[in-house]
Amino acid sequence: MSCSTPMFAFPPRFKPFLRTLFQIGLLILIWLVAVELSARWLHQIPPTVSGIAIALALLGLGLLKREWLADGSAWLLREMLLFFIPVVIAVLQYQQMLDGKLLSILLVIIGSTACVMIATALAVDLAWRLEARWRKPTENKE
Amino acid sequence: MTLLSGLFWLALTVLLYAALRHLHGRFPRVWLSPIIAVPAILIAILLLARVPYAAYNAQSHWLSAMLGPATVAFAVPIFEYRSAIRRHWFPLVVGVIVGMSVAVVSTVWFCRLLGLPELLERSLSVRSISTPFAIAAAPAMGGQAELAAVFVVITGLIGMVLGEWLLSWLPVRSKLAKGALFGAGAHAVGTATAHRRDTEEGVISSLTMIIAGILMVLLAPWLAAFV
Repeated sequence: MSCSTPMFAFPPRFKPFLRTLFQIGLLILIWLVAVELSARWLHQIPPTVSGIAIALALLGLGLLKREWLADGSAWLLREMLLFFIPVVIAVLQYQQMLDGKLLSILLVIIGSTACVMIATALAVDLAWRLEARWRKPTENKE
Repeated sequence: MTLLSGLFWLALTVLLYAALRHLHGRFPRVWLSPIIAVPAILIAILLLARVPYAAYNAQSHWLSAMLGPATVAFAVPIFEYRSAIRRHWFPLVVGVIVGMSVAVVSTVWFCRLLGLPELLERSLSVRSISTPFAIAAAPAMGGQAELAAVFVVITGLIGMVLGEWLLSWLPVRSKLAKGALFGAGAHAVGTATAHRRDTEEGVISSLTMIIAGILMVLLAPWLAAFV
């Protein structure tokens, strides 16, 4: 792992709560930069993608240490369910549209999800066998 | 007054979430899971009290706003698992492309077979990817973000059960294939299931899910013109 000298260091015994809070603030900051970037210059690239790209670039260049984002990131990903509760409740606005179609929707989801899973598993298993086949010669050379 | 009622709904959402999360930890039943129980309770309250969604969302939208930073958080697992990506890039690419194409094509096909309207068809077509990505991809795809979010949740629950059953008879041997099945088919819920089964399956599942999400957001405007 390559890391340059950190720009600043946390004081020792920094409280875990404050550390997580600070890291979430950092992730929000990256998100806001990504939103600005997409709005002003990169119209084709949504902030969802540029945000990840910025964070990955900072981590890859060693400008940000993994430890500076790890707790905040783990918290956000763990509690993500909370953030989409209001979006799920918005289904209230679409009652009329969904009326009488719930069974069809469930059938679509079950059928399509089964297709996705079967196709993905079989394709990846084949890819794994190919990977194993072409890896052997190169590994023998090493 | 409006601000106060808005804050009340926001606080109620957070408190219910915390309570159900605790309860679900003690009694792990599907219907107690916060993503099912909390919206169900809140919808019941809103309907009984005749509160319009706009009033509920006046301050609660701050929670949805956190979905953006939550997507940035995905950079950390990608960075952590970069050696797995380097090692298994080929099966990962195959899994993401096959999973995503089959998801969109089969959804459109099933919807037309059952005669569902186009808005539903397009909202359903992004349902295999993780919620924050689906919310970003749905409008570009010509769908509705809120509908997509609901379909994503249903997909996760169905996929969790379906995945275990499919793996009991599908002729796949590699952990890569098993992980990719959950990541491509049932996003975060599937990834949690895969993690319980095996750590490597979990890593592959979460990578498949994240990469598929990113790709879907990037390709949605282009895909929308095709279907």
